Amino acid sequence: MDFLKSIAIAASGLRAQAGRMRVISENIANADSTAPREGADPYRRKIPTFRTEVDRALDAQVVSLGRVRTDQSEFRLKHEPGHPAADANGNVRYPNVNSLVEMTDLKEAQRSYEANINVITASRRMIQRTIEILKS
Amino acid sequence: MTTPTVAANAYATLARLHDPTAAMKGATETPGAGGGFGDMLKNAIGALNQAAKASDTQTQAMAAGKANIVDVVTAVAETEVAIDALVSVRDRVIQSYEEIMRMPI
Repeated sequence: MDFLKSIAIAASGLRAQAGRMRVISENIANADSTAPREGADPYRRKIPTFRTEVDRALDAQVVSLGRVRTDQSEFRLKHEPGHPAADANGNVRYPNVNSLVEMTDLKEAQRSYEANINVITASRRMIQRTIEILKS
Repeated sequence: MTTPTVAANAYATLARLHDPTAAMKGATETPGAGGGFGDMLKNAIGALNQAAKASDTQTQAMAAGKANIVDVVTAVAETEVAIDALVSVRDRVIQSYEEIMRMPI
């Protein structure tokens, strides 16, 4: 039935957004991590990608979390001469995570999740309203 | 006035309800295509049973910390729809039967 299909498709959206939230939380949690040892790179920001997948059982195009890529932009440089991870010039390299960007992404993931939940709620209501015809 | 065809159509719809889902592979026969009412009922209940089993396994997997909450919710919602439809049809059929029994002869 189409309603159950739309519920299953929306569920794939929920799964994808949940995966995106996982990546965002990783970024936020690691926003202040420094390099594990001298000369090594600190944490690189991760970017989730989504891709369209054809679900043969559903005969529909669902979404899934694709490869998680890394952001190749420059690391943040902070002048902290006393820091144990500081280089010869007293600069510390921090991950290229901008918490403002992460917060925006987080809100976006939240909104998408809610949109998919709304699809599920609406579909379920439509099914139930249809079944209620039998009851009256 | 409720007629047996209404109930028959409802059962056919109920059985078709499960076709697109992967969990419903057992309900391949299309009831109402010539089989009796009993066959139809058997198929519908079989389909319902399978949906219930699927949601049961999902719930157990979640309790064991293995399943995704989204999968559990969708499985339970599917079962709920199937049960709701079957119960409505049953009520309707019983109502029709009672109406027939009340018929003055």
